[in-house]
Amino acid sequence: MRISDKILLIVFVLATVLVLVVALLIGGSLQQVLLLGQAVYIFVFITSFMISRKLSQRIISLSFNVEEMAAGNFSKKIEIDSRDEIGQLASALNDLLSRLRTNVAIDVSKDTELAKAKTDFVTLASHQLRTPLSIIKWYVDFLVTGEAGEINKEQKKYLEEVYLSNERLIELVNALLDVSRIDVGTFSIEPEPTDIVERAENALRKYLPQIKQKEIHLKKAYDDIPKINLDPRLTKMVFDIVISNAVKYTNKGGMIKITIKKTENNILTQVSDSGCGIPREQQPKVFSKLFRADNVRRMESVGTGLGLYIAKAVIEKSGGKIWFESPSLEFLLSEEYKGKKITPDKANKGTTIFFTIPLKGMKKKLGTKKLSSL
Amino acid sequence: MSKVKKVLIVEDEIAMLNALVSKFEKAGFDVLSAQDGKEGVRIAKKESPDLLILDIIMPKMDGISVVKEIRSDNNWGSDVPIIMLSNLSDPESVSSVAKYNVYDFLVKTDWRIDDIINLAKEKLNI
Repeated sequence: MRISDKILLIVFVLATVLVLVVALLIGGSLQQVLLLGQAVYIFVFITSFMISRKLSQRIISLSFNVEEMAAGNFSKKIEIDSRDEIGQLASALNDLLSRLRTNVAIDVSKDTELAKAKTDFVTLASHQLRTPLSIIKWYVDFLVTGEAGEINKEQKKYLEEVYLSNERLIELVNALLDVSRIDVGTFSIEPEPTDIVERAENALRKYLPQIKQKEIHLKKAYDDIPKINLDPRLTKMVFDIVISNAVKYTNKGGMIKITIKKTENNILTQVSDSGCGIPREQQPKVFSKLFRADNVRRMESVGTGLGLYIAKAVIEKSGGKIWFESPSLEFLLSEEYKGKKITPDKANKGTTIFFTIPLKGMKKKLGTKKLSSL
Repeated sequence: MSKVKKVLIVEDEIAMLNALVSKFEKAGFDVLSAQDGKEGVRIAKKESPDLLILDIIMPKMDGISVVKEIRSDNNWGSDVPIIMLSNLSDPESVSSVAKYNVYDFLVKTDWRIDDIINLAKEKLNI
């Protein structure tokens, strides 16, 4: 029973007793006693209801403040509205708060200093690593495409090996940048009203040259989706990872379809491809760190095995779910497959990766680190 | 007859600058170049190029300061298309130029020069 209800009950009982006592002492008819009783009850009820509600409210508001503290938010000081017992409690809580803040600040600043040093190191290292990698990329590209003169088949083959290896290094640097900051759980989520379709299109842009070059048929099916609270960087990152996989593992002349739809409680995204798929026996390990299926290891493609691990961490921390199916039903049911315009790659018949993000958006998450890649 | 487009490339790493200049010239652009931010701003103000391609980490003046300088020029600088080309990819760098209406932020290791040229042509509507 609430404190305020207890108080009301006691007051009722006292009021009744009081009225009866007064009636006995003063005397008077039953009617007068009843009238007096009613008046007293009404007056007493209203007053004590107001007082006890106010008390309850103050206590509830205090407990909200404590809940916030418990969730790690030490920044808000509790307002002290009076000198009574509740005010004293509030004041004591404020003392506790500043004590906690100081202690936590010491820990967090040591933590944040360390994290910042690590982050700065990782940013610097990745920038320094990327410089020679981009020089190699461009110059080998020149050689392969005949910029510096015609080359023979063998030369082209060797140079393509170099180019591919270099691309692997580039992807590794990108992935390390993310994984070093993701440390599953310590990255921050900063939601703001975001257009999810715009994020998908933004992430897709990087892959358009490759899609064109591989003559991949790109299909899009976007619902009309309102802006929801998402962390724009994280959202783009997830699209980047999933689209990158689709492009990488889809053969020349294949198909990729991106669907974004609104369901009752979520936004559901599907990225389907007609590519080499994921063999059944390998499927349970798909989201683990450093996993690359045997069938793609044998393919000539670069991949770090970290992408889906990162995507899963981001989606799940955002309150969503991520899963996949291979073979891809979306592809198998498509016009292109039925019309035999696109032949699936080998036996596995494509992959669809699904992920959901709740319509109510990503929850803000304080963290000491920020995921850095675009 | 359509005018030949002038592009200014500001990049401190010589090997990268040479690669970019050579490819953009072969693609038919009139190419201007600088190896530091200060020189880049000087040339930009003098020549009013149709497009700027800027690195971020550079001596004397970094790319973000160059963007700020260029955008503060009300005659031509406030509208000129700018592409950032960097090996940094942190959100702080991206947002620090976004506020000057620069939304093309390319990470060098992710882009072949041919594709950068295609993007440049897109931005210039050619």
